[in-house]
Amino acid sequence: MRVILETKPRKKPKIPIEAEAIIPQNFLLKNDIRVYEGNKERTLDEIFYVTTEGPAVSADQVEIVLSGETGVIKRVGEYMNAGRIVIEGDIGMHCGNFMSAGEIIIRGNADAWLGREMRGGVIRCEGNADHYCGAGYRGEKRGMRGGTIEVLGNAGDFTAEYLSGGEVRIMGDCGDLPGVEMRGGTLIIGGDCHRPCGNMTGGTCMVFGTARALLPTFVNAGSEEREFCGQRVEMNVFRGDVANRGKGTLFVRKK
Amino acid sequence: MAELLIRNAFVIDPLSGIRGEIKDIAIRDGKIVEDTGANAEVIDAQGCLTLPGGIDSHSHVCGTKVNFGRYMSPEDMRAGRTSRKGVMHVTSGYSVPTTFGNSYRYSTMGYTTVLEGAMAPLEARHTHEEFTATPHQDMLANTLFDGNWSVMEAVRDKDVKRAAAVVAWTLAAVKGFAIKLTNPGGTEAWGFGKDVHSIHDTVPHFGVTPAEIIDTMIRANEILNLPHSVHLHCNNLGVPGNYQTTLETIERVPDLHARRQTLYLTHAQFHSYGGSTWKDISSKSEDIARMVNARPQVAIDMGQVMFGRTTTMTADGPMEFKLYMLHQNKWSNHDVELETGSGIIPVFYSRKSLVNCVMWAIGLELALLTRDPWQCMLSTDNPNGAPFIKYPEIIALLMSRRFRDRESELLEPRTGHYVPLFAIDRELDWYEIAVMTRAAQAKALGITSIGKGHLSPGAEADIAIYPLKPQEIDPSAEYKQVMAGFGKTRYTIKRGRVVSRDGEVVVEGANSTIWTKARIPPELDLSSDPEFVKKFEQYYTVRMSNYPVQDVYLPRGVCIGTEASL
Ligand SMILES: [Zn+2]
Repeated sequence: MRVILETKPRKKPKIPIEAEAIIPQNFLLKNDIRVYEGNKERTLDEIFYVTTEGPAVSADQVEIVLSGETGVIKRVGEYMNAGRIVIEGDIGMHCGNFMSAGEIIIRGNADAWLGREMRGGVIRCEGNADHYCGAGYRGEKRGMRGGTIEVLGNAGDFTAEYLSGGEVRIMGDCGDLPGVEMRGGTLIIGGDCHRPCGNMTGGTCMVFGTARALLPTFVNAGSEEREFCGQRVEMNVFRGDVANRGKGTLFVRKK
Repeated sequence: MAELLIRNAFVIDPLSGIRGEIKDIAIRDGKIVEDTGANAEVIDAQGCLTLPGGIDSHSHVCGTKVNFGRYMSPEDMRAGRTSRKGVMHVTSGYSVPTTFGNSYRYSTMGYTTVLEGAMAPLEARHTHEEFTATPHQDMLANTLFDGNWSVMEAVRDKDVKRAAAVVAWTLAAVKGFAIKLTNPGGTEAWGFGKDVHSIHDTVPHFGVTPAEIIDTMIRANEILNLPHSVHLHCNNLGVPGNYQTTLETIERVPDLHARRQTLYLTHAQFHSYGGSTWKDISSKSEDIARMVNARPQVAIDMGQVMFGRTTTMTADGPMEFKLYMLHQNKWSNHDVELETGSGIIPVFYSRKSLVNCVMWAIGLELALLTRDPWQCMLSTDNPNGAPFIKYPEIIALLMSRRFRDRESELLEPRTGHYVPLFAIDRELDWYEIAVMTRAAQAKALGITSIGKGHLSPGAEADIAIYPLKPQEIDPSAEYKQVMAGFGKTRYTIKRGRVVSRDGEVVVEGANSTIWTKARIPPELDLSSDPEFVKKFEQYYTVRMSNYPVQDVYLPRGVCIGTEASL
């Protein structure tokens, strides 16, 4: 089954839409799907032109395609456990919160908290991701626990904060403090970043660009070769964060 | 004239000496009166248990540290959500709910007055703002003086009058109600990298001991003739063997007041531990209760622990840090300039943990072994021991030995070796429960004279009608009905108006904030005292003129004025 949701023109297009109900399992079950526009509850067809094609017997066979002014739509794919969501443009905050399986493809940019506390599945963002990609919410002790997030562009600050499992792969640059408080999983940064992995206690982070303002609480543990985009790269290996008795590993490209 | 007549109520009103009789209660314009006219609205209570509105004399519901508890626990915020409905705001949170969540849940349990257990003076505005958003309860704020530099200097100089002057200025400035000492001297010592382990250890820099702080503040409190006594969270909270500190503290308390206690010891459960480590911790409730029984000048509240998830929060920064070292989970500590500190961590009390089972038993033992219910009030130190929504379950445990025995089967099997609980037969009756949940609190806080905690003519018409018929139900056997009944009133009436009915909140509500102002001689007014002013100029991050809480923060303030004996 393919569900196409194209946003309708709205009088106040900046009012955010809370759409945690937009997940494949809800369309399979033909649930009455409601979203919020600001503090007003709306039916799906008040906000979108809805087209449904073909059948599905399981949520795996459901694909949702979102297009139009999608950058203000929040929480798409929250608790998703199967199927596929394709967003033709940008997507709002908290896309893929807690998702456990399935796939989300974003052709544009993702706002903050992409894949927050994700448990499994795949998110691929072809543009940039904003702050807290793959992180835990404020006050949470664990961020993403499983699955994969791939961002082809850049990511903001606090990428993969509290990462506990799975893999976050940022092909471009990251902002400040990527992998801060990381306790497991893998964070790969293709470009540059600033102050990576503070308070890290476990997991692996690899920086293939320049890591600026590297924290002094990482101990150099030799060098190793790693592969990135088909090239072999000589990397410095650090262990830390020793300020936290951490046992994480940080690879940074040699100059 | 709004009139309301409650008919056929089974009334227990301990402060008026009514121990359970079928009566009518007449209300006019928010007050209890002798009788009403023919046009009064009538509620037929059908013989149901009718009590003065519940009063919680120690709870943490408003202020900066409560809010930080909300902020650091998104999982707690996701629990217990309710949506907007009629006049009810959206609520969320379980152990640290939103202000409306607290207010509605208290209201449906029949509580109409709540004292916030610890307000840092510097952060009073936040507390008062949250008070105005707790619309179904009249609110009071214990004000923290445990690490107050000006107080400790006065203690060092053995100048009780000056200590009283600091209290008078501060309470009036921050619109506080009473003196709270949390681990006196301990949090400040910790700020200097030290700790106090007994009431005779010295606080660095100031050279005073917790015992001296307590003694001085008790006398200062009575010089100011404040309605409530000093409200103390003893030193060494949660430390195995701390019952010695507690006994030593109680022993020092003079009897200075005719109508109420001279010292209120809060969450006594956390201060009644024997043993020397977490491995051999045991209950010393018998020793503590024996001491309390022998000293009518002290009153305690239980600080009952109930199993499950909750959040601990206190001004006792060092204690929370120790808890953090134990749990290694998330944690916050906070320093409040020249005054106090705080700490917050989430906890889970488990039946599988011997320590937690001992704690659970101690609270109940204290309530059952304290002979006079006026001396031991029901509390969980919300949310430290458990969220207050567990009160009905605690009441049922106190009223039913059978329920306690049934619970005992679920506990860590060794619990019985460390606690006397299962040898205690006492089952509290309706009257004693009424004392422990409202009348004793009103007396202890000194607010009976403003019409709180009783139903005699002139009193505030704060009333709880529970769907329980004491003449028909046997609480010892039917503890489940007791629990359900205390959990949801048939009617909660606040100032003569029904505010909730069968668990449904029916009005928006508008509360009062009760504060105290002691009049002192002009030569003791610190507003232009050079030493006191210097504190603001040199150390505080706020100016003295910006420090006091403006009246606009208390839309319905009720000031209790006193005349100091100076
Ligand atoms: Zn407390």
